[in-house]
Amino acid sequence: MIEVQHLTKRYGPVTAVDDVSFRVEKGEILGFLGPNGAGKTTTMRVLTGYMPATEGKAVVAGFDVFDQPIEAKARTGYLPETPPLYPDMTVREYLQFVARLKLGALGRAERSQRVETAMRRTHVDDMANRACGKLSKGYRQRVGLAQALIHDPDVLILDEPTAGLDPKQIIETRDLIRSLAGDHTIVLSTHILPEVAQTCQRVVIINKGRVVAEDTPDNLTHQLKGAATLYVQVAANGDTADVLRAVPGIRGVLRVDGSAETTGYEIDVEPNVDVRREIARTIVNRGWGLLELRPLRMSLEEIFLQLTTEEQPEEAARE
Amino acid sequence: MSRTIRNVMTIAGKELRSYFGSPVAWVLMGLFAILFGYFYNVYLNFFVSPMQQQFGPPPTKNVNSEMIRPLLQNASVLILFLLPMITMRTYSEEKRSGTIELLLTSPVTDVQIILGKFVGAIGLYAGLLAVTFLYVILLFGFGSPEWKPILSGYLGLFLLGASFVSIGLFISSTTKNQMVAGAASFVVLLMFWIINWFADSSGPTTAAILNYLSVTQHFDDFGKGVIDTKHLVFYASFIAFGLFLTLKSVDSERWRG
Repeated sequence: MIEVQHLTKRYGPVTAVDDVSFRVEKGEILGFLGPNGAGKTTTMRVLTGYMPATEGKAVVAGFDVFDQPIEAKARTGYLPETPPLYPDMTVREYLQFVARLKLGALGRAERSQRVETAMRRTHVDDMANRACGKLSKGYRQRVGLAQALIHDPDVLILDEPTAGLDPKQIIETRDLIRSLAGDHTIVLSTHILPEVAQTCQRVVIINKGRVVAEDTPDNLTHQLKGAATLYVQVAANGDTADVLRAVPGIRGVLRVDGSAETTGYEIDVEPNVDVRREIARTIVNRGWGLLELRPLRMSLEEIFLQLTTEEQPEEAARE
Repeated sequence: MSRTIRNVMTIAGKELRSYFGSPVAWVLMGLFAILFGYFYNVYLNFFVSPMQQQFGPPPTKNVNSEMIRPLLQNASVLILFLLPMITMRTYSEEKRSGTIELLLTSPVTDVQIILGKFVGAIGLYAGLLAVTFLYVILLFGFGSPEWKPILSGYLGLFLLGASFVSIGLFISSTTKNQMVAGAASFVVLLMFWIINWFADSSGPTTAAILNYLSVTQHFDDFGKGVIDTKHLVFYASFIAFGLFLTLKSVDSERWRG
């Protein structure tokens, strides 16, 4: 449904997006994850035809966004970072204007129908006659979403759709987005990590304009977790680390915190070996106190940080 | 083609709604009506005042050339101040508030957006002129002015305003700040207004060019009741050039981001 090939966007000497390629299948929700300034918004602006790419191409719903912009735009709904509302218009007037812009070929009655449907779906119908400029942030965001949905597009591009919403609205918006998948192909950007895990089927992590990872949220968590890691806190004096290292199945021991009496270790364990029993026995046999023993599962948050910060030197080495 | 017209009218309608939805249109209309009314009053008093003449019958006076023509001439100065206020927010406000993203990602072309904004702005301007037209119609109740020079005068005024609008649109498309757009438009329009003042002190070729570029020179004939193709072509090319610059400015903005 969406195909991006070797997309590059330069603003003068600054490269905002550097050779980005990805595909989104029909009905899929793709999460676009990256720190601020990573090139998410730029990529989305190219996809929506707001700006042309310097190099590479993007095909949306079967139409090249540069060669056939009108056809591609007619099949794309876009919610920019700031919802594009006209403060003087009421919500209904605004959506009617957008409907005329995007669905001019339809009759007036049918357009009104679409406006009412879009307002109901995004739960803004209670504010239909309120001026857009007087809406709260949550309502603005949802009117922006209604605007993107109004022409029932094949592709929805949402730039941080939950930014600025309160927790209840965030849950509602995520539910709404999930309910839209299937009929619509959705690309959403965010820097909120749980959002990706909860909403998206696939994640593209982008940093400094480049794609650093692309997979399902589960796979990413799994893959990057690598060998399992345990956290152990021991109340002991002496050379605890060496003793632990001697336990079979342990690859490495790293002291991560500690005080005069206690020491905390991160223990690298060989895959598919459960050494917890062995560790506990060893510590207790020595007469030390076992204060804590728990597996460390890498959260998406850590993966994200690892990919966007720590992997930098490794990436450089690969080139 | 019908799609183009439909999209242009959609945008023009939105522009008009935003003029009338905010105080802008009403303030401008009121201001224009008051100032025009003031000049109307001045010229009317002057026109009806008895002329000092000692011998012979009272001289005949022509309401067209002695009242309406100078009145429209004054109106053309007024619009120099008023039109930048109409055009200053057209693009800059959309750029500042981010609504330009909606327009540029909707299935409409840049040309349709620009024409829509142009039609919206000259629509409001036509509304301003229509208000002043009421004053002129009053004259028919008390005298018998010729209506053809009045129409040609208004046509000239309309074309002059449309040229100003096209320049104002271009300037508005280059900045996010509507005050800057308004001030810059005013300065540029003023330049076109006074450009022939320098004609006297320059060589014959330069003088001819400066005179040709002066928007006032082309307006004069319309006031006299002459519709000359030369002037129509001038205004049409002026407008086309302004809109072309706007298109290029919007396009380059896209590339630069």
